Amino acid sequence: MTEHTQEAVRSALEDRSRALFHESVDGLDLRVRSRLTQARHAALDAAAAASRRPWFSRMPLWTPAAGVAAAALLGAALWLGLPGGHGITADNQSSLEDLDIVASSDEGSGDAIEMLQNDLDFYDFADKATNSGPAA
Amino acid sequence: MPHFDTLPDAWLAWDVPAPAAKGAVLEQTRELDKFLAEVERRAFRMAQVALRDPDDALDVVQDAMLKLARNYAAKPSAEWRPLFYRILENGIRDLQRRRTVRRKFMAWLPGSKEDPDSEAQDPLDNVADGGPDAPELLMQDQAMRKLEASLRALPARQREAFMLRNFEGLDVAGTAQAMGCSEGSVKTHYSRAVHSLREQLGEVW
Repeated sequence: MTEHTQEAVRSALEDRSRALFHESVDGLDLRVRSRLTQARHAALDAAAAASRRPWFSRMPLWTPAAGVAAAALLGAALWLGLPGGHGITADNQSSLEDLDIVASSDEGSGDAIEMLQNDLDFYDFADKATNSGPAA
Repeated sequence: MPHFDTLPDAWLAWDVPAPAAKGAVLEQTRELDKFLAEVERRAFRMAQVALRDPDDALDVVQDAMLKLARNYAAKPSAEWRPLFYRILENGIRDLQRRRTVRRKFMAWLPGSKEDPDSEAQDPLDNVADGGPDAPELLMQDQAMRKLEASLRALPARQREAFMLRNFEGLDVAGTAQAMGCSEGSVKTHYSRAVHSLREQLGEVW
C-alpha cells in the first residue's frame, strides 16, 4: 500500500468515525439531554456562588488546615520546650524570677549587681548548704 | 470552599484572579453557559464510550462541569476547553480505577459474581437491535457499536488522544494540555490509535 493510499484510508477512517460519533451525539434521548441541562445549571449556580465569595475563601482546603497544624505544632513546642531541651521546670521558673528581681532593682544605685559581686562566696556557701539538706 | 480531587487542580486554582464586577460576572456566566451547552453532549458520549454506563458518564460530566465552574470560570474562555476535558479525563480515569479495585475485591470474595461492568457482561453487544426499521440507521448503529468496542479495546491514552483530536476537534497543543502530556506524546498516541482502529475496523468499513 502506497503512502498516498495509506493516508486516504486513514483520512476515511477519521471522517467516518467522526461522522458516526456526531450522529450518535445528535441522537441522544431526551432524558440524557434533560439531565445534562440540569447539570449545566447547577454548574452555573456554583460559578455564580464562587464569584461572590472573597478571594481568601477560595484558597484550597488544605491551606488553612496546614496553618492550623503549624500553629498547633508551634504551640506544643513552646509549651513543652524545644526538642532536646528540658522544658520549663520549677527550678528554671525560680531562676527567672530571681533574675527579674535583680533586673528590676533601682538602676541608679546598682546595689543589686554590686551585692552579687561582693558576696559571691556567701551565696556559694548558701547554695551548698541548701543542697546538702537539713542538718541532722 | 472549593473541592479538589488532585493536587495539580488545587495549584491551578491559585491562579484565579480577584472577583469581577457584577456585569463582568453576568457576561462570564453567559459565556460559560454557552460553552458548556456546546460541549456537554459530546463530553457525555465520550465518557459513555470510555465507561459504558450512561449514569456513570452523566456523573462524570456533571462533576467536570461543577469543577470547571467553581475553580476555573474566571480564567479566559479560550482555556476552558482543554481544562474541561482534562478534568473529565481525570474523572473517567478515577472511576475506572475504582472499578478495577472493586472488581478485584469482588473476585477475591468467595461466591461473588463477575462485575457487571466487565466487557462480556454487556447484553447490548449480543442482542440484535430491534429499534429502527430503516436498514441505513441499523447499519449506522452497528457501525457505531463496532467503533465503540474498538475504542474501548485501545489503551486509555490512545483512546483519549483519538477522541479529543478527532471527535472534539482539539489541536495537538490543546490535546496535550487536556491529557497532561507533551505534544510529541499526543502525536504518538494518536498515530497508534489510528493504526489500531484501521486494523480492527478496516474490513468492516
